[in-house]
Amino acid sequence: MPSLSTGYAPNLGVFLKSLKSQQLEASIENLISLLKRRQIKNSRPCAIATAHLLLRVVARFKWTDVGKLLERIQEVGQRLIQAQPREMVVGNIVRRVLGMIRDEAKEDRNEDASDSASNSQLSSPKRQSSDLGHLRNAGGPPTAFSPLRFDSKDVVQAMDSNSDDSFGSKSSANHRPPLITSHTSYAVTNNVPVQHSMFNLLSAMPSPLATPPGVSSPQGRSSVNMSSVAHRAAASSNDLKAEVISGIEEIIDELDQVDEQIASYAQEHIHSNETILTHSSSRSVQKFLLKAAEKRKFTVIVAESYPNDHEATHAAVAGKSKSSLDDSDDMDSDTFLKPLPKAGITVIQVTDAAIFAVMSRVNKVVLATHAVIANGGLIAAAGARGIAKAASFHKTPVIVVSGVYKLSPEYPFEFESLIEYGDPGSIISYHDGPLVDSVEVDNPVYDYVPPHLVDLYITNLGAHAPSYLYRIVEDHYKAEDTNFHNPEFQY
Amino acid sequence: MSQKSAKGAGGGAKAAPKGKKAAASGKKVARLEDEREETLQAVILADSFETRFNPFTLETPRCLLPLANTPLIEYTLEFLAMSGVADIYVYCGAHTAEVEKYLQQSKWYPPTSSASPFNSLEIVKTTAKSVGDALRDLDARDLITGDFLLVHGDLVSNLPIDGALAAHRKRRLADKNAIMTMILRDGGLHGHRGKSNGITPVFVVDPTKDRCIHYEEMHALQANKYVNIDPDLLNEHSEIDIRTDLIDCGIDICTPDVLALWAESFDYEVPRRHFLHGVLKDYELNGKTIHTEIVGDHYAARVFNLQSYESVSKDVLARWTYPLVPDSNLLDNQSYKYESGGLCKENGVILARTCKAGKRTVLGRDTSIGDGSRVVDSIIGRRCVIGKNVSIKDAYIWDDVSIGDGTIIERAIIANEAVIGKDCHLEPGSLISYNVKISNGTNVRAGTRLTRGNRKQEDGTKSDAPSDPSLVGQGGFGHAFEDPDEFSDDESSAFHSNMVYSTAHLNISSESISTVSSEISTSSPTTSRSRLSSFASDDADGGNNENFHHDAVEGLLGTLRENGDFDSAKLEFMGLRLSNNATDQQIRRAIAVAFTKRISQLVENDKLEASKAAAQAFGVSGADRFIKNVAIGDEGLEDDQVDFIYRLQKDLVHRNNGAVILAAISQRLYQMEILEEEAFERWWTECEGLEDEDEGMKKVREKTAVFIEWLRQAESESESGEEDSD
Repeated sequence: MPSLSTGYAPNLGVFLKSLKSQQLEASIENLISLLKRRQIKNSRPCAIATAHLLLRVVARFKWTDVGKLLERIQEVGQRLIQAQPREMVVGNIVRRVLGMIRDEAKEDRNEDASDSASNSQLSSPKRQSSDLGHLRNAGGPPTAFSPLRFDSKDVVQAMDSNSDDSFGSKSSANHRPPLITSHTSYAVTNNVPVQHSMFNLLSAMPSPLATPPGVSSPQGRSSVNMSSVAHRAAASSNDLKAEVISGIEEIIDELDQVDEQIASYAQEHIHSNETILTHSSSRSVQKFLLKAAEKRKFTVIVAESYPNDHEATHAAVAGKSKSSLDDSDDMDSDTFLKPLPKAGITVIQVTDAAIFAVMSRVNKVVLATHAVIANGGLIAAAGARGIAKAASFHKTPVIVVSGVYKLSPEYPFEFESLIEYGDPGSIISYHDGPLVDSVEVDNPVYDYVPPHLVDLYITNLGAHAPSYLYRIVEDHYKAEDTNFHNPEFQY
Repeated sequence: MSQKSAKGAGGGAKAAPKGKKAAASGKKVARLEDEREETLQAVILADSFETRFNPFTLETPRCLLPLANTPLIEYTLEFLAMSGVADIYVYCGAHTAEVEKYLQQSKWYPPTSSASPFNSLEIVKTTAKSVGDALRDLDARDLITGDFLLVHGDLVSNLPIDGALAAHRKRRLADKNAIMTMILRDGGLHGHRGKSNGITPVFVVDPTKDRCIHYEEMHALQANKYVNIDPDLLNEHSEIDIRTDLIDCGIDICTPDVLALWAESFDYEVPRRHFLHGVLKDYELNGKTIHTEIVGDHYAARVFNLQSYESVSKDVLARWTYPLVPDSNLLDNQSYKYESGGLCKENGVILARTCKAGKRTVLGRDTSIGDGSRVVDSIIGRRCVIGKNVSIKDAYIWDDVSIGDGTIIERAIIANEAVIGKDCHLEPGSLISYNVKISNGTNVRAGTRLTRGNRKQEDGTKSDAPSDPSLVGQGGFGHAFEDPDEFSDDESSAFHSNMVYSTAHLNISSESISTVSSEISTSSPTTSRSRLSSFASDDADGGNNENFHHDAVEGLLGTLRENGDFDSAKLEFMGLRLSNNATDQQIRRAIAVAFTKRISQLVENDKLEASKAAAQAFGVSGADRFIKNVAIGDEGLEDDQVDFIYRLQKDLVHRNNGAVILAAISQRLYQMEILEEEAFERWWTECEGLEDEDEGMKKVREKTAVFIEWLRQAESESESGEEDSD
């Protein structure tokens, strides 16, 4: 199908457009093959595509009960993950949606059990920031909660017994409405009553860098609160489906705004006259730096990350061609970014080989990510580990800038398997024909950076130490969804 | 010709609403083109009408041969899906039913698979015997409505085609005559494994307009390494690139005009050597221009012979074709995972603890490798059983193969269900076809081709040839593959055997193009052309105008075959001569070639005796006058006569029974008083006088010695007679 000016080749834009007209099954297969052919790649486009697809899946789903819906989403998610296991965000988005559905279902059940205070006692303060995405403004019909692999009784028991860890009830949140207003704009979701975990509050104290995670709405719809919740039982004719759909829409909103939210922390972390080292071209990092540059003057050293991303990096620095800045990434035209020098930043571009040499003058290293793993390590563009290692040698702090959607609950046994190997054509050309025959050329696209080389993560929820990420994982994903794609690993 | 299948028609119907939507969304974009051009069509030539993959293609269509355990056509379809093609027409020659079955069961077939990114996928059944036939058929069916991609069913490419398409569009809007854009991969100045070994394509390009202005192909064996460029081109174009470094990946963006051109020229058979060359040559006549899009990155290559099969396999292993690599799991049922070091394996592979599998290796599901075995740089299919202490290097092993302990395999292709015994040694270049069994301890020599299938005879029966124990050992099954086409034509087999030593080890390919049915091979224009190029070496005086030669020979042959009228043939011939500005030498060569060819055909096919054949050929009405006037010239100069004999001799070097035919022709021409005895005399003495006379030339004229002897005697007799009368 033709798309704007780019010709016939399908990409994210074409895919999203085709979603409306295509059969659901065709859309799923379409996304699978786009992922396989890497015509949708990198975290953000994959996440957006997955979220939109799941939205369709839910919308088209013939409503019977939640268990069936979960099964269906798991099935679709499994296929998507198999298509391209290294795009971990696909799994992340699927898990978030699954978790959200579970929450909604649970809530309804609680709602059903109706205002009984007993439920609120089960609640632990930890819970409920879990899904940024879920919604409470609409009531759902009481629906049997039956997750995939347990019968519902077991689940209830399991949930009750586990509630300290990962389950709670919304009533806890309801007890603390005041927190809603106390934080600005880290979250994404519109109308989630703010929930706070005590743990978060405590852990936030010692670190001046860490901002207490919480949820509030940039859209100002945050005032959905007890009163609306109270109405819910009455409004229970509303469909759970609608809630789930708007929950997914919120995830999509989050994906849209995540860079701005991250950037809003920039000025806390970048100070005047600092020297920052970064590499490759990432929109998140670029926005982060641009935001900091609004108030401060500083120097940025950009390593070009040859061979996979150097052209885009050059473009980001020089602001030359927009097109090479990863078209598929740019959904809307207003994402055009000012090149760094225009924003008053002194930019020095170095080759990757010079990283160690310049590291001694660097005050901070800012890295972009492809995916973040639950242990606090990250998958980033090739070269990141070298930078992190050099930084640790010079005791330079390493800051990783990443949306929460990149954070994966998966904990692979071998990190090698997460690293994608690309096309050696970008390293040696056909002009070196004899070399092609006699030399093996590897072109790893990503690097694994172990957690001990990272000092701080800045997400849209604020700044966290790597050791703290597991908490965010727990807040965002349900433990039973972690390995939904390969059941043999599920406990 | 059968019509499209009912299912295909169903696909078209189902696709209609989709197409409408596409058009609707296209409207918003407000393109300049009219609506029906909004979807992109593509034509896949699934059969290239060649036999370069024998013996494997005896059993399997070429586009279904596995490359890195995925059928070739999957790569092509992935490429088309990647390019956003909506409608696909697949043309196949041999094994159409199998290709059709495969496609209908694949995820690509829109009526049965919702996963298909295409609106329609139609398998067109034809009786086409060449690419040209297929395209003329396509033109007649009127399926193509707008710009389309013409690709081969063996294309492997990850090239984004949008840029080239946009450039093509722009050019066509500016000038309706810009009918075609070829996508060529810059291959670099040095050798590259992606370049074809036997034939070097020469593209003459005007880089300012990206226009291809001349095309020629050069053979590795061709001594005459010149390209003949029309001087006018130098005047018209301020800048010209002559490039031999381009890899022709066979992706053409065509307008429907291209099909019309094919239809007009019914003798074009192959897209490059005939069509491209012809259209460029006739630029003055038709005004059509053909453009090039030379790309410097991404991967594009065709698997057109076994050498390229190997090179593309290596590229897949080295991930040049990324993302079309095994671990992308292009097929639904694949589960490859990539491990560092380049080992790609599916679930269920059993590796013994002490075996070494790795370094650019692909292992299919349920394959097991025994203790102490080593597998590097190889592709192994599913369910293979590999014994202990086996060494496999650079080998391409398909499914269900079992290999016994201690066997060594280097650079071989082993097809499905073959059995290799213990302690065998397969030397480089071995091709083991389906179901062949090689018993223990056999040494398969380099370049051996073993098969169990037999080529279909012309009457359609399939005879089972007995197994050859000297090749497969006692108890083995299989015999050497012999290609009838290959040996009916000395030229190509000579070329073939040369190629094996000169360039590549897996070569089978450089046979001249011969079609699936062998009847066409001898008279196809291609054959005559390759023949010509190989003796162009001793033909320094201007064998370059090959088109003239080709056209002239074809014309004359036609006349001879039909016992037609030489007066009209002469008219045509002189017209050709004038339009091509051919020299006398070229004319003589063409005539000589035409006659010798006809006579050798008569001798071989109709089993005539050489003298009778000569009589028949020269007996065609007007032939004697034609040769006298045109070949020798009205003056009947002795020089010209001698030259004509030389031409005959040269051409006959390459034909069966050349010597006999030369003797017969000489006699005949003498009888017809076309050639005089002085000319023969001079020719003979000149030949005798040559110190470094070519072996072939000498052989050919051996049989004529008797005739010359007879001439000499007759002469002396008549002289003595004259003396007597004095």
